[in-house]
Amino acid sequence: MLKFPKSAAVAVLALAAFASPSLAGDADAGKKVFNKCKACHAVGDGASHKVGPELNELFGRSAGGAEGYKYSKAMIEAGEGGLIWDEAGLTTFLAKPKAMIKGTKMAFAGLKKDDDIANVVAYLKTFSQDVAAAPAAEAAGETPVETAAASSAPEAAPAAESAPAAEMVVEKSQGAFGLGRKAMPDEIAAWDIDVRPDGLGLPVGKGTVAEGEPIFADNCAVCHGDFGEGAGRWPVLAGGQGTLLKDRPVKTIGSYWPYLSTVFDYVRRAMPFGNARSLSDDDVYALTAYLLYLNDLVDDEEFELSNENFATIKMPNEENFVPDDRASEPHYAKGIEPCMTECKPAPVEITARAQVIDVTPEGEGDENAGGID
Amino acid sequence: MVDSADPKRTKQSASRRDFLKAGLLGGAAVAASAGAARAAGDPLITEIQDWNRYLGEGVDVAPYGKPSEFEANVVRRNVPWLTSDPVSSINFTPLHELDGIITPNGLCFERHHGGTAVIDPADHRLMINGLVDTPLVFTMEDLKRFPRENRVYFLECAANGGMEWKGSQLNGCQFTHGMIHCVVYTGVPLRYLLEEAGVKTNGKWLLAEGADAAAMTRSIPMEKALDDCLVAFKMNGEALRAEQGYPLRLCVPGWEGNMWVKWLRRLEVGDEPWAQREETSKYTDLLPDGKARRHTWVMDVKSVITSPSPQAPVTHGKGPLVISGLAWSGSGTIKRVDVTIDGGRTWQQARIDGPSLPKALHRFYLDINWDGSEMLLQSRAIDDQGLVQPTKNELRAARGGNSIYHNNGIQTWHVNNDGVVENVEVS
Repeated sequence: MLKFPKSAAVAVLALAAFASPSLAGDADAGKKVFNKCKACHAVGDGASHKVGPELNELFGRSAGGAEGYKYSKAMIEAGEGGLIWDEAGLTTFLAKPKAMIKGTKMAFAGLKKDDDIANVVAYLKTFSQDVAAAPAAEAAGETPVETAAASSAPEAAPAAESAPAAEMVVEKSQGAFGLGRKAMPDEIAAWDIDVRPDGLGLPVGKGTVAEGEPIFADNCAVCHGDFGEGAGRWPVLAGGQGTLLKDRPVKTIGSYWPYLSTVFDYVRRAMPFGNARSLSDDDVYALTAYLLYLNDLVDDEEFELSNENFATIKMPNEENFVPDDRASEPHYAKGIEPCMTECKPAPVEITARAQVIDVTPEGEGDENAGGID
Repeated sequence: MVDSADPKRTKQSASRRDFLKAGLLGGAAVAASAGAARAAGDPLITEIQDWNRYLGEGVDVAPYGKPSEFEANVVRRNVPWLTSDPVSSINFTPLHELDGIITPNGLCFERHHGGTAVIDPADHRLMINGLVDTPLVFTMEDLKRFPRENRVYFLECAANGGMEWKGSQLNGCQFTHGMIHCVVYTGVPLRYLLEEAGVKTNGKWLLAEGADAAAMTRSIPMEKALDDCLVAFKMNGEALRAEQGYPLRLCVPGWEGNMWVKWLRRLEVGDEPWAQREETSKYTDLLPDGKARRHTWVMDVKSVITSPSPQAPVTHGKGPLVISGLAWSGSGTIKRVDVTIDGGRTWQQARIDGPSLPKALHRFYLDINWDGSEMLLQSRAIDDQGLVQPTKNELRAARGGNSIYHNNGIQTWHVNNDGVVENVEVS
């Protein structure tokens, strides 16, 4: 497709990826890493439990020991077995949570980079007063917390991790301005992952309902519930059939979504929430198959969804989507001259008041009122 | 108050109390001041104030300026029960505290689907691919070499007012109408970029994609993309704020905010729409017969009185009162705004002041002499297409109560004799 090099319009761009200096245990850097965690965990002033427990005073806390948080059985047992969170324990756990505590509710697959782990541990440590303030000798036989960050933690991120300097042959734009450069096939492939209802864009792959179930339990159930019923205010994925005419419609994949491609596309680009693009294409096929099963759209656990049969599956609510016809509503009829005097009988009565409901801005509102997620 | 050990404070309090006793100021509380007691006048005038005697801070104390400390209450606010988590949520512009038509950058409401992406502009790329002659990649530096334009546009979330479909719920125009802002954008017309890549004749749709953790996507018809869309890198003269898509966002003037993809990284040309999550499961409008409208892109003609409003009560009693508000339409300019103080029995035309630009906020005023009696305030906008803002009941008659999006119904504020304002609905 691309003919490199192309005589006049060729430039060479050296893409040197430099590894950032490895400062293991940098709390400031850890704050950024913590962005990956904060969909589920809060830390700092006023932190409370979210999907996961709050992490203030984590160091020295017994596993499963945050009051008021509903832990997995596995985590509680780990605590009863004597696990107390410290730097070493957290470092192991964060690399692969499920390897250390089989059965933990934490859906996060783990931090891949040692640097990230050391940094986020250092960051969390700043919210554990006892440890953060402890003098050197008392810090569990380790080097002092304040200086550990800079000096003693193992030098993570070996040089091998930094990509070798790559040379990229660049073809300039042929447009009127000659700005920009031609996109390369691998670049397009990396970003162009959208899938259309007719199946355009589907990758080669497959997965069954049965394969999807454990993937869902590990990655999705923490927010969406074991059966797609939704935890807290997180989206409900299954059920709701026959509710669209009711006062409180439940709009799920099965009851509302017009196309299956949307499920595949969205899961692949944005889920699991906070760890996007971490699932394989086969995982996404399996999850999509499992979501069909949760919505009673297939009933065979061995049903296999693939790029071959994908576009043949129709969603029940597809035909109920109609074009925008707001312009045909009576209040938008052409030539309406708005009334200026004697427009309604006196006295004008108040028929509804916000103060009666009193949900401004805190408190429990009408669950169905917003629908913003 | 007077038991303070600090003689200066004691003196201040006494002075103020005596002054108030003199009855010169009515109920209004004024800031305490140092100086002699029993002044024959406002001590803020008759006594020398600290700021009038001592030097203030020099230049460079705040290299990037902040609002006055006395404006600390003018902030975006959210409604915690509305969403699961702040990283996929919304907050609201404090419309009741603002005037004119431009929203300050730091007060523009935020809506994220996967938190604020933090991107070094040197690391940002914009790709154009799909049905084009040459798929292209631009750096920010490349984009700033295209001819650029400055345009004032409002951006309104389609869910603005979504909590009010079933009745008055939130007591404040920040919450009922604050999913909107209006700034001047600087950017490159989208058509220049598309022309640079060369759109093939069957390229009828555009998919815009963000670089955030939600990889936000929306399908946009090519006709709109080639009409007035902008790829913007500045707002109100400065770089986009991080929460508004720094370093690059799409502007889709007059159309629902969800389409204004932030952290814009990719534009794909295709021959059909993509039916993405945000244009199927969300941002579709459920009707009473179970049908759902899709591709409801245009934001309807709409207005709201921003003051008085529940968060901006009348504190000065009867007499001259400025009724002020905003009006806008995704179809063009606002031709007229009518205001009623009696719940819609009689209307009078308000005065539009300031620029009247297409697909931008308009500021209106009605200056009245309030007699201190109860009022039911409403505003009604009419745009240059002749579309008239409907009542909430007209909308419900046409769409039922489950549409969530595109609620542009007329808002009613009840003002009682004390100037306290409440969000209500009327017969």
